[in-house]
Amino acid sequence: MFSRLRDRLVRTFGFRLATWYFGLFVIGTALVLMTAHQLLSWSLQQREREIIEATLTRYALAFQRGGLPRLDASIAADRATGRYEPMLVRVVTPDGLAIRFSLPADWTRFNLAQLSAGPLLDRGWGEISAPGSRERLAIASRFIGDRTLVQVGRSTLLQDEVLRRFRQVALLIFGGVVVVAAVGGRALTRAALQPLRELTTTIRSTLEGGTGAARVPVRRVEDEIDELGLLVNRMLDRIDGLIAGMRGSLDYVAHDLRTPVTRLRATAESALHSTGSVEACRDALADCVEESERVITTLDALMDLAEAEAGTMALRIQPVDLAEVARDAVDLYGGVAEQKGVRLAADLPTHVPITGDRNRLAQAIANLLDNAVKYTPAGGQVTVAATTTNGHARLTVRDTGIGIPADELPHIWERLYRGDRSRSERGLGLGLSLVHAIARAHGGSVSAESTAGQGSLFSLLLPIHPPSKMTQM
Amino acid sequence: MRVLIVEDDPTIAGFVARGLAEEGFTVDTAHDGRTAFTMATAEHFDLAIVDLMLPAIDGLSLIEQLRAHGITMPVLILTAKRSLDERVEGLQRGGDDYLTKPFAFPELLARVQALLRRAGGRPESARLVVGDLSLDRLRRVVERQGRPIDLRAREFAVLELLMRHAGQVVSKTMILSQVWGYNFDPGSNVVDVAVFRLREKVDKGFDTPMIFTVRGAGYVLKAA
Repeated sequence: MFSRLRDRLVRTFGFRLATWYFGLFVIGTALVLMTAHQLLSWSLQQREREIIEATLTRYALAFQRGGLPRLDASIAADRATGRYEPMLVRVVTPDGLAIRFSLPADWTRFNLAQLSAGPLLDRGWGEISAPGSRERLAIASRFIGDRTLVQVGRSTLLQDEVLRRFRQVALLIFGGVVVVAAVGGRALTRAALQPLRELTTTIRSTLEGGTGAARVPVRRVEDEIDELGLLVNRMLDRIDGLIAGMRGSLDYVAHDLRTPVTRLRATAESALHSTGSVEACRDALADCVEESERVITTLDALMDLAEAEAGTMALRIQPVDLAEVARDAVDLYGGVAEQKGVRLAADLPTHVPITGDRNRLAQAIANLLDNAVKYTPAGGQVTVAATTTNGHARLTVRDTGIGIPADELPHIWERLYRGDRSRSERGLGLGLSLVHAIARAHGGSVSAESTAGQGSLFSLLLPIHPPSKMTQM
Repeated sequence: MRVLIVEDDPTIAGFVARGLAEEGFTVDTAHDGRTAFTMATAEHFDLAIVDLMLPAIDGLSLIEQLRAHGITMPVLILTAKRSLDERVEGLQRGGDDYLTKPFAFPELLARVQALLRRAGGRPESARLVVGDLSLDRLRRVVERQGRPIDLRAREFAVLELLMRHAGQVVSKTMILSQVWGYNFDPGSNVVDVAVFRLREKVDKGFDTPMIFTVRGAGYVLKAA
């Protein structure tokens, strides 16, 4: 149902885009053609008027200078050149007598009575029409001397013809534009929406069939669509990573929980079936309690990690003396180290005041110490040190232990990762991930340097004042 | 002392009730919030142990309703959630305490006793004496059979905790939270080693040991 809706949306969007493209293209072309038509029509009229008026001036002058004979000579001269044929020439005396009225025979179809009509004479310029025809006569009128009227007129047939041709061509062009706009709009929309469609397809296949290998094709032209595609791909990669991580950690969780639960069950079963002493049963029960304790510890650590990874680890931010927290941890692990024959030294300033969650910081330091002591053989040394540098407190735990192989170093912060080295030592495998999570929750970081066989250096870098966002968590 | 247990899980309720009865408490049990409210308003209890997840009325609402009725007995809250929400924190500031499930009975007992002690307003004496072992909290001096024992600060704190709960099992969790202030399991056997070293100082050179390990539960200090 969703996919159909999305389909329709994309289609509608594409349709709208194509329509807009088509509309703008067609309207734009129509406007251009109409303007051109108007300009052409206007300039033709203008030219016509100029010609008519120039002719009128010449004829009027000829009539003034030499009366009708001179006028006739002038007309005859013009006719001989054939330039301005055909033409209407009319001369009317003040008493209304048309002393000269020459025009092509078929122009009688025009409403010639209008020639003496007021508007035509008043403005000196005008047109008379013929019934049943679009053709008109453009007439220029002028009074000369003793109010003798001279009129010269030409048919608009020529202009009309030019304009008609223009309109034909324009219509052809317009038709072409309509076709181009329709086809181009569709093609352009398709091309523009193609990446979107690919995105939709990828996301849909991801939704329906799991993330897998489906990725949005990226054309490497670095436009906005490409950026979106890249972002979606990165998101899919991230989701893939998270899912893989989750599967992996689920396996580990199952393993880490299964082991103590299996031992617990085995202990309880064998105690149930044995006919041994009460003392032996009590021992078995004590074993059960210890194993269940282990399960709870693992669960707690997993919950902490899950919270930290989801960014919901609740921190009780308050002023903390990191040096004091570290001294407490050193004090706590002093006994274990001594028992193991490892020298545990502290190189701590009196105070390293920062703001953070005391319990979480203590947990991080304790985990680092636990790790260091665990992987340092007898005769080795673990040193805890702290310094303050511009806005950050750095706590380091250096050991002379077995070290971490270079290829494992990048993975030690991964949840549940446990290198080969820990096969002989019990451990949750969650400790370092938790340190990492706690550091990040405080807006800090943790890093490790190590030379296999020579020892490791873990550095916990914490901002003295964590970002304000952290305090609200 | 009369304790009201409000817990819908009969196994846990029975487990806590039996344990407290063995310690000499009079115990009543309610399996849901409404019954608990009726009981607490009708009769007098010195303390209530309330589970947060309850049928009818949830634990926090129950406590709030009881407080609204002017019932001020201390409450120990049981919760399965590790991270506390603000309302529980508020109650904690009001003098009540909380314990996360699963818990060890000795820890519950210690918290119950601490709550009752606080509610009763009895000041703790500066001097703790168990058998021939004495501890002066003000002068920070420990003596056994009159011989001074030199303890480091944390060792002193562990011993003080054991002596205050003399005869009772003190869990590792309790030691970690009360002596180091840690609300987490730091891994390794750090507490075992710490108690081992304390034992070296308190028991070594004397005829009878006082500090014992109770496997799977914790430690107990008993008069020699």
